[in-house]
Amino acid sequence: MEAFSTTGTFFDGLSARPRPVTLRLTFRLEILGEGLRRDWSLLDLRAADTAPPLLRILQAEGPESVEFADVAFADALKARCPDLYRAERQGGLTRLVLWSVAAGVSVVLAALYGVPAASGVIAPLVPQAAEAQLGRSVETQIVDLLGDPPACNEAPARAVLDRLTARLTEGMTLPAIPQVSVRRHALANAMALPGARVILLSDIVAKARNGDELAGILAHEFGHVVARDPIRAVITAGGTSFLLSLVLGDLTGSTVLVTIGQAAISAGYSRDAERAADAFAVAAVQRAGGDGAALAAILERITKAEDEKPGAISFLRSHPFTAERAARIRALARDGQVEHKPAGAGILSEAEWQSLRSICPESKKPDGGKKTAPSETL
Amino acid sequence: MNQFEGVPSQAPARTGVIAFDRRAAGLTGIVIKGFLLSLVTFSIYRFWYISNLRRFFWGRTIVAGSPAEYLGTGKELFLGFVVALAILVPVYLVLFLLGFAIPALAPFAAPISFVFLFVLGQYALFRGRRYRASRTRWRGIRLAQDGSGFAYAGRASLWWLATILTLGLAFPFMRAALERFRIDHTLIGQSRMRSTATGRSILLPWLMFYIVGLLPIIASLLALLAASGFDLPSDLLIQDPATEKSKLIFNPAYADTPLSLYGGLVLGAASVSIPLAVILIPYYRARETRAFLNAASLGAARLASSLRARQFYWPYFLYMLALIGFVSALGIVFALLVPILAADNPSAGTQAAVLAASALLYLGALIGFTVIYVRTVTVRLWHAVATTTQIENLPALEAVLASSRPPASGLNEGLADALDVGGALEIGF
Repeated sequence: MEAFSTTGTFFDGLSARPRPVTLRLTFRLEILGEGLRRDWSLLDLRAADTAPPLLRILQAEGPESVEFADVAFADALKARCPDLYRAERQGGLTRLVLWSVAAGVSVVLAALYGVPAASGVIAPLVPQAAEAQLGRSVETQIVDLLGDPPACNEAPARAVLDRLTARLTEGMTLPAIPQVSVRRHALANAMALPGARVILLSDIVAKARNGDELAGILAHEFGHVVARDPIRAVITAGGTSFLLSLVLGDLTGSTVLVTIGQAAISAGYSRDAERAADAFAVAAVQRAGGDGAALAAILERITKAEDEKPGAISFLRSHPFTAERAARIRALARDGQVEHKPAGAGILSEAEWQSLRSICPESKKPDGGKKTAPSETL
Repeated sequence: MNQFEGVPSQAPARTGVIAFDRRAAGLTGIVIKGFLLSLVTFSIYRFWYISNLRRFFWGRTIVAGSPAEYLGTGKELFLGFVVALAILVPVYLVLFLLGFAIPALAPFAAPISFVFLFVLGQYALFRGRRYRASRTRWRGIRLAQDGSGFAYAGRASLWWLATILTLGLAFPFMRAALERFRIDHTLIGQSRMRSTATGRSILLPWLMFYIVGLLPIIASLLALLAASGFDLPSDLLIQDPATEKSKLIFNPAYADTPLSLYGGLVLGAASVSIPLAVILIPYYRARETRAFLNAASLGAARLASSLRARQFYWPYFLYMLALIGFVSALGIVFALLVPILAADNPSAGTQAAVLAASALLYLGALIGFTVIYVRTVTVRLWHAVATTTQIENLPALEAVLASSRPPASGLNEGLADALDVGGALEIGF
């Protein structure tokens, strides 16, 4: 067998002292230096990760190593040492990829199905005081986002609103007595917050044509309160965003993905909650002696046509399409009519309705605002 | 990539040089593989990716003739991350629930979380360094780091407090004190390194950065606060009613008050100082790196750095040029796609093809940005620091003996990664 030789540096792994040596490659690797003689089996040699022409050879398991910069010698060594680049374990990459994909899928599934289910279980366990506290802070936050609109509290109108609330919630098992507040705002909307808080924006009062329509809106929000949707939404949003950011970690653009994913999950879930709240509203208004279908009428009036085109982002809608909702509401109202007495003059008398309409006297400056936050809008 | 630990070589040389091949053959493959696998593994591969990167950079840094060696594995980092998560998730939960459980604490929940996670982050930074030191070997000798992570976190927190209270003037002294703590707890084998870094040595570069980049903003902000009696009206900035966009303007109600004058001053100062501050950051970092390297020693051997600030500017300059070129190339490809998109009634096949092409283009752009960054900025900064550093009195290093202390666990760095305090893609020490 042809013998190669070169010069190199030997390190004993115990001190940093470099020792110049001569390397000789036959069917073994001989290392000769001053007061130093090693004879290594080629099967025991491992190469460290270095850039050519430098090569560092370690003797497996041992602390000793030798370095040299001779390409021809290195090539000869590589040809004779079968295990020179053997890593202790190979083929782990495929397993790693498969396992992490499986882990990712399982976390996504947990976010999709597990968290909404868990939030339904956890929501009733949230202590009353904690939910009330959360409701207070969420309301402050929302009022802030809306641009701090003033609260409307005209005394006679307030009395009518309180009576309406009492009639709609009569005989219901509510987690707490709803606290309805009205704020002057150019947005026709209403929302239910944790802690049985309901906010009505004045424009929806202005757009309502009679007491039944407004009662339908209020009852819809009470439906959310009964189902504890606001606190469930908070838990779901927190849980899914935590899980999604866990799997998506620090991937490029992950913040966007997490936001979209979370919005899609909570929206899909909330579309079901909206349908339930609609059904609840129809039943409650009819029980109180009003026209359950009035909710459909006001929904159609406040919906902007351009928001209703099915499109790529339909899956992000937190509410079902209004046409679909209105049709369901009317169908429910028809069915419900049989059990109850036919719709009479409405829940509120004309005088009461006129009084309630003036809850927000003369609007001074219309305010634009954004909306977000854990709330159940209409 | 601060403070690359240096050390020795052939017996006759009195001075040891540190070499690094800037061409970095094979690096692009590591980056592309790491990026793509991180993508399909929900970024779990990042631990193996960073280990590959470190092994590459360590192994090509030749200190006094002998390449350094990185011994860490992705598995260690991953397991450390999993354990750190198990510790952190309950901590996050407690911090989150604190606000609800004790209503009186609710307004302070955010600051408490911030302070707690900041201190924990400092702890994790120090322990992450310990892991990296213990996985570094040179001439068969492992590095190590001792010292308490909590002591470091306490020091760092107090120094940050002092820096904030002195409006930033204590910053260089904090950097030097923490550098001394880190280096004084770094061991090569059984020999302890020493640092004589002082705040004074970097005071001038810092003052330059401070006076140009920070002082105008701080001063005008203080003036604004003083003018409002330290009670800034919350409606100083309102949404522009004219455009109804989310553009903020000064509330006209405050026109002709000193508030609008000082508010304008803050804006003016910020628009000049922030770009200047960004431009001066590489200068300060280069000066600090040089001063700190020069202060590091091990016995009679000491490091000497001749790092120039321009060596820290050049990589960023090249990076910007490369980005401009790359984005133009992308723009051309995109311009070729647009006519197909704009065509009337594109067939389903064309639409799918365009969609696939856009997705590929996006992916390609992300990979391109990453590769360009690593190859221009990371490699060149590393090269600049390594090749301007020399080891004086090299033979003194031969006395270094290996230590028998057990290497640190991967948990150290896992915590840093879970807290997102720069474990993942920070390659250097």
